[in-house]
Parts: sequence; structure tokens; C-alpha cells
Amino acid sequence: MQLKRVLTLRTIVATSAGLTLASSSFVAAVMAANYVLGDSAWIAILIGGALCFMAAACFSELNGLLPTAAGIRLYFSRAFNDQVSLVVSLLYMLVVVIGVVGVESYILSKVLNEAFPAIPPYFWIVVMLLLVTALNLRGVKIAGVFQDVATYSLIAVILFLGLYALYNVDFKLNAPMSPGSAEGMINAVALGVFLFVGFEWVTPLVEEVTQVKQISRGMMIALGILSVVYAVFTVAMTATVPKEILIASPAPQLVFARTVLGDFGTPLMIVIILATSLKTFNAGIISVSRFMYASAREHVLPAVFSKISMRYFTPWVSIITLFFIGLLASGLTLLTDRYQVLVGLAAAMESIVYTMAGLSVISLRRRMPQQERPYLIKGGYLIPGVTALVFALLAVAVLASDPSALLYMSVAFVVVLIYVKTAVPRIKKKYEAGKPAARRRPVRSQENTEGK
Amino acid sequence: MATHSEINESLQAFTENFNKNDRLKLMNKDWNRVVVVKATDIESVHTWILKNGVLKLNDGLTDDPDLTVISDSETLTDVFYGDLTPIEPYNNGTLRIIGTEDDITRLDFICLMMWGE
Repeated sequence: MQLKRVLTLRTIVATSAGLTLASSSFVAAVMAANYVLGDSAWIAILIGGALCFMAAACFSELNGLLPTAAGIRLYFSRAFNDQVSLVVSLLYMLVVVIGVVGVESYILSKVLNEAFPAIPPYFWIVVMLLLVTALNLRGVKIAGVFQDVATYSLIAVILFLGLYALYNVDFKLNAPMSPGSAEGMINAVALGVFLFVGFEWVTPLVEEVTQVKQISRGMMIALGILSVVYAVFTVAMTATVPKEILIASPAPQLVFARTVLGDFGTPLMIVIILATSLKTFNAGIISVSRFMYASAREHVLPAVFSKISMRYFTPWVSIITLFFIGLLASGLTLLTDRYQVLVGLAAAMESIVYTMAGLSVISLRRRMPQQERPYLIKGGYLIPGVTALVFALLAVAVLASDPSALLYMSVAFVVVLIYVKTAVPRIKKKYEAGKPAARRRPVRSQENTEGK
Repeated sequence: MATHSEINESLQAFTENFNKNDRLKLMNKDWNRVVVVKATDIESVHTWILKNGVLKLNDGLTDDPDLTVISDSETLTDVFYGDLTPIEPYNNGTLRIIGTEDDITRLDFICLMMWGE
């Protein structure tokens, strides 16, 4: 028995890297560079990448043990309990959607406004969100090969631009191992983690491959490529443009491209920003709308979110709801100019999820010791333990250094917790009350079952 | 534990309901797929062939699948009689589906349209 369609390693790497590569990644890279001295941002980025390797190893073990598109919803449910799993999954979706959409749309609108000053920035946000929403409502998917070519081309252009800039300034590392204070380094590493946000969103593809290990390999390769690309590009940015100018810009990559390539740099970087943001919006809406649909089918979100388009087979209520959430998040970000808080918020949330992934590996090894594991992390509890500990520290570091991020995270947590404790039981009760009294399965079958 | 014939009956019931539903047939007339349903606790494999909006059930493995539905016999029987929402066993890991995300979602949409919430 063989599946007719299977994904190749090339597509898995492209998907993992593509989900991670966002316009906001460069903002986080510059924020990380700002925490360390001189040109040592690459150290923080490579450490961030190495830590994500450990998290990827944990996700690989979980994914092999429980191969499902439900991902963390199932891992955490088995490792802890259903309520913990639900709270974290809902919080994760909420924070990452608001964080990533808010920052991406902010950057995009500012960049396009710079290119076309007569058009107000919010107009671009509405246009982009409308475009992605329309594509999703109609169920239009970008062809696999095209997506692979686009992602690899994007990575190649970014790497080339970084290397070209370093060559141009005749770059030499100054005091390469002197990043400054430990506190600055910890914050830089935490923001470095944000650069890789989303690499694990490739795990739902486990149902489209013949070998579970391909997902692990794909994630690791993507992380390796991105670590090098981000490190080179960030060092190139800080070597070419003063840090204070980069940090003051919502699109430091645009300032950098203009400095390196002159007039040609602006349109090239606008195309790159447009491509990365569109891709990020699209991936976000696809993943989160499916999550909302599944949650509604599971009776943890109101049933209205499971409504589907009879024509295109897409969860239209979830998609349109996300459109309005996106509009609100980006509108508030544009109004307050506080996009950097969202970067910290998303980095902290991602760190919390990686902490729980490490703890889940430990818990499930105890709860399901006999279950087959196609991917088993070597070295006993060392890597999952270190992953849990380090990411917990990073989450604390990010939230402690940014009181606004801590406040927003606390409010979101309380809201989700209250929802799970009060609204979810009501939705489930309503569903149970509406269920047909008699089962459709013939009684004979049930008697047979009892007899066995 | 359900028997092979009970799974067969539930799949037959699902097939009949699908083929009686003109709307479902019309909506899926371009979605030609092979779906294999396999039990984990007993020897039981069925193959569904959906072609031009008409669903046909075969006993045993008769073609390479686009989608494979794997679960214990009880869950399979309950799901295909419409007594259990597939998403519940799917999310708790009892039901496994191998195939593309779009195809998996489409299969759930069909169950939703046939049985309601």
C-alpha cells in the first residue's frame, strides 16, 4: 500500500524555512544586535539557532510518537492534560497571530508608504489582508514547486546581499568573542529565537510523508540554513549601517539594501518584503483557520467557526474572523507604533511552547514507555531537560525586560484561562444536549461489542 | 471490539448516505480519490473509490490510496455511523489519517455535511 502523493525533503525544508522567514525577522535580528556589543550579533543568532535545534529534536520525538496534524494540541494533552493543552494552544494561536500579523503588517505598511507616500499606510494593510483572505476563501493554494522555488530564491538573494555587503566593506570581525554583558546576551539570544519562530509548524505535514524522520531532517536542515543566512545578513547590516539608524527603522532591511545597492536596493527589498509578508500572512491564515475549524468541531470554540463554504470547501467564518482580527491587530500596532513589544511577546510565547515541548518529551517517556519512537533523542533526559530549562529562562528574560509584553501576556493568559474554564464546558454541554438521543449504530452491534 | 462485518456495515451505511445526497455528489464530482480504511485491532481493510461524485466500497485493499484512515474497530464503526465526530478521536490520537491536509479536511467536511455537528 503506497500513498499516491508524498512530499519530498526539498518541500519540507522549503516549508519549514518559508514559515520562519518573515519581514519581522529582520527587526528581531536588529533588536538582538542592539543588545550585544560590536558585530557579535552572529553569536546570539547561532546560539538561538542551536537552541532551536534542541527544540526541533523534541518536536521530532513527539511527532514520531504521535504523528498527527493536531501537533501541540495532542502532545500537551497526552503529556499534561486536556485543559493545559487547550489553554496553551489557544494562547499560542492568539499571541502568535496578533504578534506576527501586527509586526508584519506594520513593517509592510511603513515600507510601502515610503515608496508611495501619497497612499496612507493602513490602506496597504487592508489590501494585503483582503488579498490573502480572498485567496484563502477560494481555497487557492500556491503550487508546491513554485513555493519551493520562491523560498529558495529568497534565501539565496538574502545570503548574496549579506555576503556582497561584507565584501564591499572589507569586513573583518572585531573582537568576535566579546558580546558584552551576560544580561544583554540572554536578551539577544531570546530575540534570536524569534528569528526561527514557526520552524516547527511543518510537523502537521507528517501525514503527507512516508517516513516520519523526513520531517525531523527537514526541520534541522531548515534551521541550519536559516542560522547561517540570518547570522551573515545581521552582521552585514550592522557592519554597513550604524545600529542606532537600524533600530530606529521599522524596516532595517530596506535601509540596509538602499545603503548597499543604492537606488536598485529599494525596489529589490520592497519585492522581498512583499513576498515574505504575503507568504507569512498566507501561512498564518491557513494554519490558524484550520485550527479554529478543528477546535469548533471539537466543541471548544463556538460551532459557527466550523461553517464551511459549500463551493470552495474552506472554513469561511474562521477565515473572515481572522481577517478582522488581523485588521484590528495591525490597526492598533500602526496607531501605537509599539511593534517591538509584539516581537518580544511572540518570542516569549514561542519559548513557553518550546519549554513545554521539552517537558512533554520527558513526561511521555514515562507515560508511554513502550510506544514505538521512530525518532528518539539520544542522551536520555539531557536534551529535553536542557531545552525546557533554557527556554523557560529565555521566556522569563524577555518578559522581565519588557513590562508591556508581560502585561499583555498575563492578560491574554487570564482571558484564555477563563474561557477554557467557563465557556468551553458550556459549549460542550450545548453540543451534548443537541445530540440525537439514539445512536445510529444498530443495537445489534453494541450487544456484540458488550459480548466480546 | 467491533467485527469486520460491523465495520463493513458502517461503511456501507456511509456509502449509501453519500450516494443518496445529491448535493454531496455534486460538490465532490471533481474530487476523485481512493480512501483506504484500516482497523488496528482486527484484520479489516476496506477501499473506497470516489469517482465522478459516486462512492463505491470494496472489501480489502484494491488500489493505492490518496488517503488512509487508521483506527481501532470500535472508533471506525462509530465514526462512519456518524455517532462520533471524527475530530475527537483524531485530536486525541485514536484516529490517524494519512494524506494531504486538504484531503483530510475535505473528508471531515463530508462527515459534517452528512451527520451535522
